[in-house]
Amino acid sequence: MTDPLLELDDVYKSYGEEQVLSGVSFEMDAGDVDVVIGPSGSGKSTMLRCVNRLTEINDGDIYLDGDCVTDPDTDVNELRKQVGMVFQDFNLFAHLTALGNVTLGLRKVRGMDKEAARERGYEHLEQVGLLDQADSYPAELSGGQKQRVGIARALAMDPKLLLFDEPTSALDPELVGEVVEVMRDLAAEGITMLVVSHEMGFARSAASDIIFLDDGRIVEHGPPKQLFENPQAARTGEFLSRLETTHEGE
Amino acid sequence: MGTSESTTAGRTIRARAAGLTDQPLTLFTVAVFWMWLVVRWTNDFLLDGALIERNTSFFPTAPFEAAAAALGGLAASLGPVGFPVGWVAGFFEFLAASIPYLPPLATGVWATILLTVLGIALGFVIAVPLSVARVYGGSATRSVALGYTELFRGTPLLAQLFVLYFATPLTTVIRELPTVGTGFIPAQAFWVAVIAFMLNSAAYQSEYIRSALNSVPEGQLTAARSIGLSKVDGIRHVVLPQGLRYAIPGWSNELVYLIKYSSLASFITVRELFERTDAIASETYRYTELFVLAGLLYLALVISASLLMEYVEQRVAIPGLGTTGR
Repeated sequence: MTDPLLELDDVYKSYGEEQVLSGVSFEMDAGDVDVVIGPSGSGKSTMLRCVNRLTEINDGDIYLDGDCVTDPDTDVNELRKQVGMVFQDFNLFAHLTALGNVTLGLRKVRGMDKEAARERGYEHLEQVGLLDQADSYPAELSGGQKQRVGIARALAMDPKLLLFDEPTSALDPELVGEVVEVMRDLAAEGITMLVVSHEMGFARSAASDIIFLDDGRIVEHGPPKQLFENPQAARTGEFLSRLETTHEGE
Repeated sequence: MGTSESTTAGRTIRARAAGLTDQPLTLFTVAVFWMWLVVRWTNDFLLDGALIERNTSFFPTAPFEAAAAALGGLAASLGPVGFPVGWVAGFFEFLAASIPYLPPLATGVWATILLTVLGIALGFVIAVPLSVARVYGGSATRSVALGYTELFRGTPLLAQLFVLYFATPLTTVIRELPTVGTGFIPAQAFWVAVIAFMLNSAAYQSEYIRSALNSVPEGQLTAARSIGLSKVDGIRHVVLPQGLRYAIPGWSNELVYLIKYSSLASFITVRELFERTDAIASETYRYTELFVLAGLLYLALVISASLLMEYVEQRVAIPGLGTTGR
């Protein structure tokens, strides 16, 4: 048995009085794709941001590839090189082209020279199908294209783990498909992904595990088949059926 | 250019409000103004009066005097309805009377430009870290930056000039420096004024930059940090390149102010445009002509600065975002 790639051990997080995560524990292995679902305010995004320490936890431990990342001595910049993140509202660098967005980290963090970074940048833009938009600025791209650039930017750092924070929820429905397709490709390539998303199609077909988070606790954690067809907890079934009805009309 | 929407290389450029750069007459006037200045300075400073003797105008006054006299006569002969012609005559009289003073004023304009450019540029170097400290600093650095800003915005610029010039050893120190006051290098008062403008302008500029930095969405720095950039690098490579662009319209305002506020340097004997105007006026008693002329020269400088900043703003605009009214 090898170490899990990511391990959360009894993680607690509160903002003042408000308890957001109350003892969250789970593991994922390299190559896994875990999809986190749960009602809004259940702590999904907070949990994700704790992993690359955009948010600091109050108690518990998080391990990445055997290293404790929540240790105060951990170099957060080192950690973030190994954990890519894709944001709900893209957060593309507005003053840089698509290529510039992908290469900034390569040049300023990895210290690559301009030419080498460009080459790598083109590769990753090709991977998300946007080679022809390399010189476009974010404001000139559609939402779906922006998110694909966001994915390429995260991929370029060659991370051990990719975090997706509701990558499709800011998109018009007709643009969701192109982003999900890219995510599916990445999953097939064996990239380890922790995805907060309610894209049930993606969850069903690409996820190794589904984690149902409610009120800061993991209510249920298992393969998609089990959760969708035979949920163990009453709340899981309830939530899933509500999700199905809201998505039926689309 | 214009207000229509155009598409270049598949990139839509948003229609933008007409600005100074769209007005051919303004562009022409500014071009003539600068051609005159450059030729004048070259002749007076570099060629030692080779083209025309120093303090002698390029333009003859006789034709304007003749025109003024002729129009004045015409106005008189037209009787009560001749007053518009009389105004035109007055304008030619003004030109004839002003022309001899243009050469010394051009020298003053040089000092005014140098004061403003040095003051704003050095001030900018201080303003950027100051504004970053205000927005991203810890409580201690924030307080220091705030204290600086309030001190220099809250006290009169003239008082700052006087304190630096009379109450600190700065003047003596600068006077003792080699080359100060010889050849092209202005005397100590000029440098004291540059330092005062630098310190004062930094405070104002930092306010413009601070509000621009605040308008950069928080997610930009979050994304920068998520790829492993340190906070300082994230600010440097992601927040500042955007914030400084957004600061341009406000910052231009400070530039325009400083062009005119640089006239306060006359109070500590700097021979800039206002000082030259005042000195010649008190010798010749031609106050009206001289101060109208000085006003026009300041106006030409301000319009030139606005044109330049409009051009810069368009040049660095982020495609797709539009240049103004973000």
